[in-house]
Amino acid sequence: MNYINNAAIIKRQVMVRLAKLILDDTIQDNIDLIPVLMTPKNSESVRCCIHHDRAVVRSRVKVLLGFAAASESQSDEVKLLKDYAADAVQKGEDKFDESILTVIDDACSACIRSKYQVTNACRGCVARPCIMNCPKKAIRFEGGHAIIDENLCVSCGICEKVCPYHAIVYQPIPCEEACPVNAISKDEFGKEKIDPQKCVYCGKCMLACPFGAIMERSEMFDVLRDIKDPGKTTVAMVAPSIAGQFNTDFGKVVSALKKMGFDKVVEVAYGADITAQKETEEFVERLEHKESFMTSSCCPAYVQVVKKHIPSIQSYVSTTLSPMIYTGEWVSNQWPGATRVFIGPCVAKRFEARESTYVDNVMTYEELGSIFIAAGVDVVECDEQEPDKSASSVGRGFAVSGGVANAVIASAASCGVKAVSKPVNGINNKTVSLLRVLDKTIKEPAFVEVMTCEGGCLNGPGVTSSPVIAKKFLEKMLK
Amino acid sequence: MSKKFKVSICSGTTCYVLGGAQMMVLEDCLPADIKDEVEVVGSSCLQKCHEPNAKPPFVLINDYLMESASMTKVIDYIREHR
Ligand code: FES
Repeated sequence: MNYINNAAIIKRQVMVRLAKLILDDTIQDNIDLIPVLMTPKNSESVRCCIHHDRAVVRSRVKVLLGFAAASESQSDEVKLLKDYAADAVQKGEDKFDESILTVIDDACSACIRSKYQVTNACRGCVARPCIMNCPKKAIRFEGGHAIIDENLCVSCGICEKVCPYHAIVYQPIPCEEACPVNAISKDEFGKEKIDPQKCVYCGKCMLACPFGAIMERSEMFDVLRDIKDPGKTTVAMVAPSIAGQFNTDFGKVVSALKKMGFDKVVEVAYGADITAQKETEEFVERLEHKESFMTSSCCPAYVQVVKKHIPSIQSYVSTTLSPMIYTGEWVSNQWPGATRVFIGPCVAKRFEARESTYVDNVMTYEELGSIFIAAGVDVVECDEQEPDKSASSVGRGFAVSGGVANAVIASAASCGVKAVSKPVNGINNKTVSLLRVLDKTIKEPAFVEVMTCEGGCLNGPGVTSSPVIAKKFLEKMLK
Repeated sequence: MSKKFKVSICSGTTCYVLGGAQMMVLEDCLPADIKDEVEVVGSSCLQKCHEPNAKPPFVLINDYLMESASMTKVIDYIREHR
């Protein structure tokens, strides 16, 4: 579940401060003060001391400027944030590479390597089944207590099962537990590292880390720079899951976006309408060619799951483009040369956008909200305004799980093609295993909608509202 | 009959984004012992976020203004003052 927590709030506070400096044009003078202002002298520190807290904030700012958190050289360690900001201007888009999620080493508390721990309920018994049964000889006795050597332990869990006192407990490593594809693991120093070959950009590790040590490399700096440039037309392409993100109707968000500086506001649900139509045509054609099933392709993290982990089902994935891309294409024709910014709840869209020529930047609702605050725009107080391009309720329905499947199956039925819906609602270890054998288990014509986030985009990693609230607003928009 | 506590949750953008969003479900999360005494309403910007060093999210409980508010803080306050 995407619940709000202190780590997320701190990140947003940093975002607000940075956005303010960019908007006020005082970044060169004040950016290096952010860590100090966030943790002033004599304030209570979260970590060992305020200097550690400040080091973490410094890294957060660096990531918000778009850089990876890790230092590449010794001189990076002492480099001022204002020099990073200058670099960010100079390098622009070039600073982005394949890594989208980045681990802040200073923030990673290096959770213990072994996932099992002996508690003080250990009685130091004579039987000592933990020692007797450990296949790796990782347990020894010291001071009358069992101790697990975390370098030898392989977390098999046998000791936990055999302890007569239930004195051994399972203690997960949250980010590793959350990752559906085993892309994150410890390096030799015990800090977490993300394997770019395996990462599908779902953002689940980022939400899971209780220290807020994993962040996505932000593009807000680049977006704000374009917004401030009077010579540039900037277009906000807003995903349908925007519903209720600010506890208001969409019309108010449209005027808030314009107040903040976007020249045009377009609903990505418009592109979803196109996706729905083309995907149906593709589906019908595939079934006519006796293919048994097809999966959706609008969720970019799922597309990466297949590409990197389950190539055997690649041919079943729809080749229809995503709503973001169709929308970007429309915008590019309508306003040539404009900066096209996708605004949504998604980390993986950043990767999809980088691969496409129709989208320039991606921002999350969380970043958007922080910029609203920095710009002094209160969405609640704005008047309702129509977007420059709106959409039907079919496209808007893409924001929740079931939306894509319902659209495709209903319109396929109207062409006389019958199929069942076999949705995969949320990517996790279990559903990844299911997907692996999909081509062997599906027997009747089926459309498989896959959403990486359980419940759909409304429950994405970059949302500001609880899905319960967002859903209420979305239902209003679907009427 | 009016209830003993009126809780106004600020849902101006500043408060909402910086932690207020999660309190929107406060009404459904009130523990049984205080449920009947509390009325929860949403409020537009309470105008506190503009002050220097403001600590959003803000919640108004009758006349008491709570800063850095959270669900547990609100519930604790009500239990203490009932
Ligand atoms: S938004 Fe809550 S006080 Fe202004």
